[in-house]
Amino acid sequence: MSEEFRVVGKRLPRADAVAKVKGEVNFASDIQLPRMLHAKFLRSPYAHARIISIDTTKAEALPGVKAVLTHKNVPKVHAYAVSIPSHQRFEYLLDETVHYAGEEVAAVAAVTKEIAEEALELIELEYEVLPAVFDKEEAMKPGAPLVHPELGTNLAQCPRSVNGMLPLEYGDVEKGFADADYIIEGIYESPLQHNVSPEPRPVVCQWVGNELVCWTSTQIPQAIRDELAKCLGIPLSSVRVIATYSVGGYGGKQPGKIVVLTALLAKKTGRPVKAVFTRAEDFIATHRRIDAKVYARVGVKKDGKITALYTRMISNYGRDSAFGYNIPANSAVTTCSMLYQYQNSKFEGYHVITNIEDHGAMNGFGDPEAGFCIERVMDEAAERIGMDPVEFRLKNCARYGDKGMELVGVAFGPVEWGVVGPDIDSFPECIRRVAEKARWEEKWKGWGVPIEVRGVKRRGIGIAIGMHHCLSRTPDSATVKMNQDGTADVFSSDPEIGQGIRTAMGQVVAEVLGLECEDINVLLADTSVAPYGYGVFASRGTLAGTGTVYRAALDVKRQLLEIAAGRLEVEPEVLEMRERRIYVKEYPQKGISIAEACLAGFQITSTARAPYPWVDERTGKKVSPVSVVATIAEVEVDTETGELTVLKLTSAHDCGRAINPTVVENQIDMSLTLANGWVRTEELIIDKSTGVIINPNMLDYKIMTILDMPKMQDMQEILVEFPNPWGPFGAKGMSETAMTTAAPAIANAIYNAIGVRIRGDHLTPARILEALGES
Amino acid sequence: MLSKQIPITLTVNGEEYEVKVCPTDSLADVLRERLGLTGTKIMCNQGECGACTVLINGKPMLSCLTLAIECEGKDILTVEGLADAQTGKLHPIQKAFVERSGMQCGFCTSGMLLTAKALLDENPNPTEDEVREALAGNLCRCGNYKRITECILAAAEMMREEE
Repeated sequence: MSEEFRVVGKRLPRADAVAKVKGEVNFASDIQLPRMLHAKFLRSPYAHARIISIDTTKAEALPGVKAVLTHKNVPKVHAYAVSIPSHQRFEYLLDETVHYAGEEVAAVAAVTKEIAEEALELIELEYEVLPAVFDKEEAMKPGAPLVHPELGTNLAQCPRSVNGMLPLEYGDVEKGFADADYIIEGIYESPLQHNVSPEPRPVVCQWVGNELVCWTSTQIPQAIRDELAKCLGIPLSSVRVIATYSVGGYGGKQPGKIVVLTALLAKKTGRPVKAVFTRAEDFIATHRRIDAKVYARVGVKKDGKITALYTRMISNYGRDSAFGYNIPANSAVTTCSMLYQYQNSKFEGYHVITNIEDHGAMNGFGDPEAGFCIERVMDEAAERIGMDPVEFRLKNCARYGDKGMELVGVAFGPVEWGVVGPDIDSFPECIRRVAEKARWEEKWKGWGVPIEVRGVKRRGIGIAIGMHHCLSRTPDSATVKMNQDGTADVFSSDPEIGQGIRTAMGQVVAEVLGLECEDINVLLADTSVAPYGYGVFASRGTLAGTGTVYRAALDVKRQLLEIAAGRLEVEPEVLEMRERRIYVKEYPQKGISIAEACLAGFQITSTARAPYPWVDERTGKKVSPVSVVATIAEVEVDTETGELTVLKLTSAHDCGRAINPTVVENQIDMSLTLANGWVRTEELIIDKSTGVIINPNMLDYKIMTILDMPKMQDMQEILVEFPNPWGPFGAKGMSETAMTTAAPAIANAIYNAIGVRIRGDHLTPARILEALGES
Repeated sequence: MLSKQIPITLTVNGEEYEVKVCPTDSLADVLRERLGLTGTKIMCNQGECGACTVLINGKPMLSCLTLAIECEGKDILTVEGLADAQTGKLHPIQKAFVERSGMQCGFCTSGMLLTAKALLDENPNPTEDEVREALAGNLCRCGNYKRITECILAAAEMMREEE
């Protein structure tokens, strides 16, 4: 596909591969420093309580204990790693009032982990237990206990919300429903999911004079730096955050509080301090995917045209989410307002505060939650009119020119309406190609007819489509610096979290500068070295991060060509850069090496900024690029035991251009696997009366194993490459898109197999048997 | 309180190390914190995920559930010992993981590589199902299972060709 490129589009080894297979990559939890202390945190057993007294005398007297922090001796600051200016914040670093079971009430630094743990047990606490609420709908009822009494309600507020409800409407939904031949409605649920980052949250802090050095695993190093400077009252120049290699975060790697507490312990003791959560703490005290309930009502004509969609989404926000309204406002609303040609659409979102740990970002950030609901109701709509579900989606999927938002960010408005950008026109191609690869025509035998029935085992097939933005409308900058031997260094604030950004940046720079990948050293996420950038979340790393590196490389290329042109006494336009040389296109023997040009031009460097917003040339309007996906699942259900086997997953993605197809496919597999776990096996069980998590371990909270996923030939990723007008070599973000489709595709396949719809949140054997029993 | 430490000799990647350990110290902690062999990763620290897998006398074991004190006199292989110590040449399993991107974030990789080595040492020509069975206890949150399977089958082929 990418014959015109030398490096881009090639399945090259990852830039971090050798270091990773040799065990040479140092993650934050691997760091050990001389005289290093270990930190442990004491957690509240109550979901809502006020601390009446706290006595640390005995803990402090324990030999080996070097410092104890409580709300009495830490600054009264809010500590969240994500700085959204208009976000309301209620809780302090260590607070007198705790808002969820597991919240930190004290921190200890000691010479060993064991002593620190022993010290926790010696801290004497007296609590006044306050009423608490955990269920989102309970929390909405009048008279429900208030999580933050100062707010006067449990409904989170944002600038555009009306009495706690976030609206988004276009067209005339009432007229749309009146025009419909059929109206299909239902209540659909999507479950909470924990990120389960492989490395439990780690931090190491060391003060060197007045400079704080902090190693951590995060997706947003510059925001961590901002937070540390703000909470500690020191300038940014005194804070260095290093997160060069971070472990998979899937949206969850945004440590705020523990980074600040660890820095304070290091300050107080004058020694380096390391804090690494236990797996249980990681489950209890880090944010996870929201759980949501969506009432959906769709109007449809007999010919298959959608006339209107109304959605009312209630989502659980936890105690004080750092993201607040951004989940429904940035993403869920996209699926609810733009996934199909709805003509008329009305969205009402409620984000409810409860006494459980934050619900925040996780792969897909709202679109999977909305998509799991929308794609099940759309399947019901297709069935009502007796239309093939693939045809229904081909007919209705979003297209260029549809009503769309110029920019996402509905919470903070005003909402600017424009059109969906031209990049979405790959949707029909994705649907057609996935149907072809999954042999839909051969397998789909019509509504109510499974693929196959063998005794108690029934096989079915289902499709779902989805979209997710590539959040490019955020600042980024990057530097490309030439070395005197013709190699290049790249500096960016975007960490490598496994998604392959280091590889992508290397391939892009090598392509632009006519170098080989091994000539490029991509140095990521060291805040004292790299220019400012937002980090890697919201699928922004390709368009914003790598796109900015691309622009810096282009400027470096311009400088090098000018130098070479002077040397060769030609115009820069006649020159080409390839194989580490700059030469005259027509006379390749006439040229100089890139190293020579670098020596002549001491020192060639360029820092570029992300060019945003993106503008649609046809309309002149600002657009948010989105990536789209279509996924088909084939399943087998044992109607006696409810056992579900996912036999095949086929997924077609528009990634604009695959800078490295292997890396893109791996990211698709990641999202598909996360989505399978989300609805099939992962269930964080929160005790209904205490708010305590009952299963904070990987045995009882089951993520997908290799045996749960289809075999090699039965996991098919299809890369649809419609070069995106704004991305580096046409590329755009895609790492979260598959997450939106696997769950509803499986649910629709289950329906095809057993003839019963599951509208609830999980597709576990118990729920399948329940559904079969009810029918 | 610091518990009483007992001197032991551990043989790791062919080298002998004299260390003092508490009877309760896990092999994972001793490898990582005393010997500086941080290639062994701790994901759950309670035997649920396979990330800390090392080979003890050739068998894949969970180093977080193994007491260091029980390992005296046994051969321990960690990820740092997989490549050829003399030439630095990558083991075929490592090579396959590099060539075919068998990792994403890389946190489960050491455990995957060592589990795969134990499998291929015992069964040089495994089927896909045998690979899946062998890896059933190694969790990869990045969902890279398909590629990992592909890498191990490719490594098996490379190893058979080398012989």
